[in-house]
Amino acid sequence: MITANFPNPIGEEHWGIWIALYFFLAGTTGGAYLLSVLFYPENQKLIRRSALWAFLGVVVGSALLVLDLGQPLRFLNLFLGGFYPASVMWLGSWFLLLSGAGLLWVYAQPTSRKAQGIVAVLVALVVGYTAVLLMQTAKPFWNASPLLPWLFLASAATAGGALLQLWQHHEKLSRLVVASALVEGVVLFLHLVWTYPVAAGAVLALLAGPLAWAFWGFVVVGWGLPLFLERQNVTLAALLTLVGAFLLRYFVVMAGQV
Amino acid sequence: MPNPKDFAILFDASRCIGCKACQVACKQWNDLEAENTKNRGSYANPPRLTSHTWISMRYYEGLKPDGDPYFDFIRGSCMHCTHAPCVTACPTGAMAHREGGVVTVDEKTCIGCRSCVQACPYGAVHFDEARGVVQKCTMCYDRISHGDQPACVKACPTDALTFGTYQEIRAMAEERVRVLKERGHTRANIYGLRELGGTHVLYVLTEHPSQYDLPKAVREAEKRAATGWLSAGIAAAALGAGLKFIVERREALKGGNQ
Ligand code: SF4
Ligand code: SF4
Repeated sequence: MITANFPNPIGEEHWGIWIALYFFLAGTTGGAYLLSVLFYPENQKLIRRSALWAFLGVVVGSALLVLDLGQPLRFLNLFLGGFYPASVMWLGSWFLLLSGAGLLWVYAQPTSRKAQGIVAVLVALVVGYTAVLLMQTAKPFWNASPLLPWLFLASAATAGGALLQLWQHHEKLSRLVVASALVEGVVLFLHLVWTYPVAAGAVLALLAGPLAWAFWGFVVVGWGLPLFLERQNVTLAALLTLVGAFLLRYFVVMAGQV
Repeated sequence: MPNPKDFAILFDASRCIGCKACQVACKQWNDLEAENTKNRGSYANPPRLTSHTWISMRYYEGLKPDGDPYFDFIRGSCMHCTHAPCVTACPTGAMAHREGGVVTVDEKTCIGCRSCVQACPYGAVHFDEARGVVQKCTMCYDRISHGDQPACVKACPTDALTFGTYQEIRAMAEERVRVLKERGHTRANIYGLRELGGTHVLYVLTEHPSQYDLPKAVREAEKRAATGWLSAGIAAAALGAGLKFIVERREALKGGNQ
């Protein structure tokens, strides 16, 4: 157990920008890996490249998580502290560690389809646990509807697809991105309607309050515009989708705490 | 259900005069700094709990439907839950039950991840920026483990606060509700018997808990996470299969003219 005392000089109570950025990085790069395993099994080059990106996403994301702790030097307590499977934070730490190792392995050498599938399950757990982490809290905007995992997974598919589109334009990818973006939009709408009765403050902050810039920025620039541009300029659409994916994580994280 | 021999506190709202002696005693015994606050038009001050305000009285005033005025006070502090969401959410075991059912944080192990802050339905844990760890009411564990009463209980001038074993406290609460009902407080009730496996701080109330902004039907963190995992599992399966179906069926249909 690490007990060294080194308070984080930028520590604050809110889960803020670092958490949102981590959700974005892990979700996007993890989504890209999942899509390439699921839809391009024959394209080993793509799978290994997206494994590298997802590995970097997991490593940089984990670094942001450590940076966000009140006692960064004690982060090892997550692994040394004991067995706490009921804590989503504890489970997530292990998912990150295991998926990081798995992704590095997939990148480093040719692996069997089965091995890539197992790593994909770990990556899916990383992408999915972030939503469960929020659902375990007492904040109604996060836990009143069961849709947060749907939102994060759909967004991971959209953003992951957009990331792949930056390397290769492919009809199939376009269809994937459009389909998952549509799911994402519907889920987000349902989530807002569902949580409104108990989390009106959060929903209003998104629609017309201090978080409106992020919310409408997502809807217009990060979601609507790319759908529109998908046929004209794929690269621009993909870049905007990535911006949107970040805005989405950001406003979800912030709205839970208004 | 707490162990009958556990430590427990009774707060009797029908005896409380809202004098804040408990608040002051808590600050003094636990050496907590004063807060810089503004007049917000309420007696409640500080308006919410922080890392150096572990107990704060809340005030509710207005007119009843029949025109009678009411002025009610409620203790805002940690409830020392039996199935405590803060303990469940903690990934390091720093937040844990001590002997006697009291929930405290081990400052030397805490990594400052704030999972507990997000998980507590009573807003009773807070992040201390200077120390990089979280802080909360300890039920004066340093006093009670030596046979003394918590500082707040000791300071209460009207016997609105009582300290004892869970068994005694619960019997007192039941007796008090019986007396209050006899005197015409038909809605008198005990808060904390069913919430989160039974809390070690029980409230005797003269009105419905919602009148004091107390959450009813609080869900345990294990259940919130279970809903999340279930939903995430369904979402992953449905999105994976759904996208695959959409994309590959289209592919198959177009296969002929490629
Ligand atoms: S009231 Fe909050 S801080 Fe206290 S034991 Fe329950 S969950 Fe933990
Ligand atoms: S902030 Fe500390 S006590 Fe709270 S959940 Fe994290 S490690 Fe546990």
